[in-house]
Amino acid sequence: MLPDDIAEIDATVRGVLRDVLGLSEERVAAFRSETPLFGALPELDSMAVAGMLTELEERLGILIEDDEVDGEMLESFGALVRFAATKANQ
Amino acid sequence: MIDHYDWPGGREAMLRFGPATGPVVIAAMPLFEEANRTRAFMVSILRALAERGIASVLPDLPGTGESLIETEDAILTDWTTAFSSLTDMLSAERSAVHGLALRGGALVDVTARLATRWQFAPASGDMLVRDLLRTRLAGGEKSPAGEAFEFSGPPVELAGNRIGRALLAQLQAAEPAARPPLRVVRLDSDPLPADRKLAGSPLWRRSEPGNDPALAALLADDIAGWIAPCAG
Repeated sequence: MLPDDIAEIDATVRGVLRDVLGLSEERVAAFRSETPLFGALPELDSMAVAGMLTELEERLGILIEDDEVDGEMLESFGALVRFAATKANQ
Repeated sequence: MIDHYDWPGGREAMLRFGPATGPVVIAAMPLFEEANRTRAFMVSILRALAERGIASVLPDLPGTGESLIETEDAILTDWTTAFSSLTDMLSAERSAVHGLALRGGALVDVTARLATRWQFAPASGDMLVRDLLRTRLAGGEKSPAGEAFEFSGPPVELAGNRIGRALLAQLQAAEPAARPPLRVVRLDSDPLPADRKLAGSPLWRRSEPGNDPALAALLADDIAGWIAPCAG
């Protein structure tokens, strides 16, 4: 995958977190690869996870099966970007 | 102003906005939880239309809002039939009746005899059902991986609504109305094709209901420009 594609997916994931969780632009801009997500962001409850996954599907044109969703992909910002990049590259 | 309309299955409430004459816009809300999240936004759009001299109505559908029908008893054909009945009622009193649909509302006005259709972020039925079923996972009710959802049986609770499985089955096969004249507007984050894309955030995803008066005003301008040539 080209670095440009990774940058675009990174930006898309940030945008989804901002829009679904109602976070400020500054807050999502400060996310780093190791920034913890599920369990660390109070806004990211289980309902918000469902909305976030659907929004990622729509914006990236991917399909995420329920059995692919696990704690690991939601552990950190970097893990979520890697998951999205893998799906987008399939 | 609170008013009502009749359809073959009963009587439902609706809100009227704007002038008592001229063309009228019927608003179709998103479905289920998305409707709760976007009601304030929809009302902002309709008030902005009223400021531009355009009347509108915001109906409850059978099984929603003040309806005497239980949500779990509603099926999609109740909604399309009610919407068509309302369209016919307004056609008798107005110069033209136009459709305005947000998200899954575009699945509801499919059979109505509307002069034109204007859709914001229209969503296909299978995406909406997919999203609803996913909330079941999030609710902690474990659905074993690979197990298909059963579309017959008793109503199912999804994201706080008890929904009939027949409705879910109908929705899953439903596509937004595509009959011209049709104008589609989407957010710029949405990769699907549209006649116009605007910056903004998807309020129907936010767990805390929000509003975006600036976007509502832009959309009202777009609608006003769209229906003006056919205003009559």
